[in-house]
Amino acid sequence: MNKRATINVGLWGAALALLLAGCQGGLRPIQQLNQSLSGLGDSQSPSLNSEWLALISSRTGSRAQVQLIDRRRNAPVLLPGLNRPDSLPISVAVDQRGERLALVRQRDDRSELVIHRRSLQASQTVPIEPAGVPQRVSLSADGRVLAVEVSRAGLWQVDLLELP
Amino acid sequence: MGLSGCSLSPFNRQPAAPTGLGAESRQQPALSGDGRLLASLVDRGGRTTVILQERRSGRVLPLRQFRNRQPHSSPSLSWNGRYLALLVQQGGRRQAVIEDRATGQQHPLFLPAAQEPQQLSLAPDGQSIALELINGGSRRLQVFSLAGMLEPDRAPGLRESGGGTPLQP
Repeated sequence: MNKRATINVGLWGAALALLLAGCQGGLRPIQQLNQSLSGLGDSQSPSLNSEWLALISSRTGSRAQVQLIDRRRNAPVLLPGLNRPDSLPISVAVDQRGERLALVRQRDDRSELVIHRRSLQASQTVPIEPAGVPQRVSLSADGRVLAVEVSRAGLWQVDLLELP
Repeated sequence: MGLSGCSLSPFNRQPAAPTGLGAESRQQPALSGDGRLLASLVDRGGRTTVILQERRSGRVLPLRQFRNRQPHSSPSLSWNGRYLALLVQQGGRRQAVIEDRATGQQHPLFLPAAQEPQQLSLAPDGQSIALELINGGSRRLQVFSLAGMLEPDRAPGLRESGGGTPLQP
């Protein structure tokens, strides 16, 4: 093999190695869902499972609100009783069935933790005890356990609640 | 569960189990899909570090792959806790990585150079991930498929035949 052929083989080998390295990353965008997301404006605080995606979206000039996207249809569902004109969502989490949503929101200059049941279209405020300021929330996919980050006297803590 | 106007007594409260260092700051909780495991962020020698615990006992479980890449942020667990997704610091940039606790393997998630991940959420079955990305001052969510990269980690009874290795915590 002459010198030029050796260099060519080397270049092709390097290109193949780069290609394989790229494949190992394995990240493929889910196009239809991402197209649906791009129509929601700025979005943050994702909570994903195989059926649902909960998030907080905000468009310029309008109030941020919780969105729940049905992944089978790649479209948001209505959430009657959850988004309120007098509150600002901070963090949201959803269970695997899309039945329970846990939400931290700011309302009247106070942060509150809320559990919403979609089938009942009803929200319940969960008191923080001892008193503290809730910030970020996590809900187990089975919907039975909730973990919330709470600020108390300058210290961040995690409270756990088992839901009936 | 009773809702508006009903007693809240059905809630069973508990503080997160201590990590052995007394009262310390703890942030960004993330539960496994079955609620058995809790990941959170604590301070270790001035560096924000992820820890993984059994929720009820507080026992700390080993995480091998994330050392020396603090600050950590945005932990997220799969259904049985086989996978832990996390943002780590890698060469001056934030990078999303997933540790497979069953095999010890680590999966870095490569994004286009201009996109910096801020927050993530791993689907409990480990087959997709949502990333909150900062790009040109706007925050956007993008969802990526992990099928073919990770074995499913589903709830017992939903597990595919031959899929996944039972975890010994």
